[in-house]
Amino acid sequence: MRFQDAARDARAVVYAGIQADPLVARAAELLATATPGQRILARAVMNGETTDPDGWRTTFPSLFGPPVTDELERARSEAILAASLAVADRGEQVRSQVRGAIVEELTARLLARRVGSPAVRRERRILFDGVRAEIHPYDVTVERESPAEAYDCKWGARGINADVLHQLDDARSHAADEDERLAVALVVFDAARSCAVRLAAQTAPHEGTAIVTLETLDALAERLG
Amino acid sequence: MPENVQPVIDRALEAYSALAELGEELEDEWSYVNDLADAWRHRLAEVADQRGTQPASGAVSAAVDRAIAEIGLVADPHRAIDWLSTFPQVVLLALGETP
Repeated sequence: MRFQDAARDARAVVYAGIQADPLVARAAELLATATPGQRILARAVMNGETTDPDGWRTTFPSLFGPPVTDELERARSEAILAASLAVADRGEQVRSQVRGAIVEELTARLLARRVGSPAVRRERRILFDGVRAEIHPYDVTVERESPAEAYDCKWGARGINADVLHQLDDARSHAADEDERLAVALVVFDAARSCAVRLAAQTAPHEGTAIVTLETLDALAERLG
Repeated sequence: MPENVQPVIDRALEAYSALAELGEELEDEWSYVNDLADAWRHRLAEVADQRGTQPASGAVSAAVDRAIAEIGLVADPHRAIDWLSTFPQVVLLALGETP
């Protein structure tokens, strides 16, 4: 098993520009230390139809209302609101790409807390002897002595599909064929309940794939599972 | 006088049904839309069963009504599916519940 940079095709070049957007880094940094409620705020605002900050403050009284006495937490909520509104303000197609890039960057930052930044790589392919390489790279990988880790990242539960489940499970099983350990996971910036509904309808193998949801994101910094 | 939790959840569920109808326009996602909506309706109904007769604060009522207004603006079925997952989370958070 070995890792390789993905081909720099036109799609990759365009997407690299999205990934390098300072807004992506800012949002990911804020979300890496956010509470579950603040992450729901980000998801709602980035999905939103309106960009009126007062309207969103009304929608989230537990983050902006009188019960909040911790000024640092309130300030973090305000910063997440501002970053999320900046995402929502983009055109529909760009917004979608930025949201995806934020989930990837958030995943990379949480993993780096556990394994250190040098081991965390982006847009990498995984090659196995005698196996045709997948066209699509993995969003995030952890490259170190066993176990290595491979992640795909999705904004919503609807992004869970047969292709991504097969790709992750194939990589895990090919690694096992080479007596290597590769832990695989799908990171979904959505509620576990929605992910469970989506997964229940999938016939692709996923028993060996960890599903990381909004509720369990912080586990990336602690362990894979 | 504050209203109870039950009518707040009832309003949310009514708006949620309209959102699900919009999502159903994507024929390939019809089953997912309905399974997703059923799962979240079940969760909201649990909260209504447990806390329906308790008072909801004005801030909670305003939060849910604002969320209802937000999904009322959704016209695209793809975005409706995103909100079928997001809206119940927002409502539950406003009610002080976990999704």
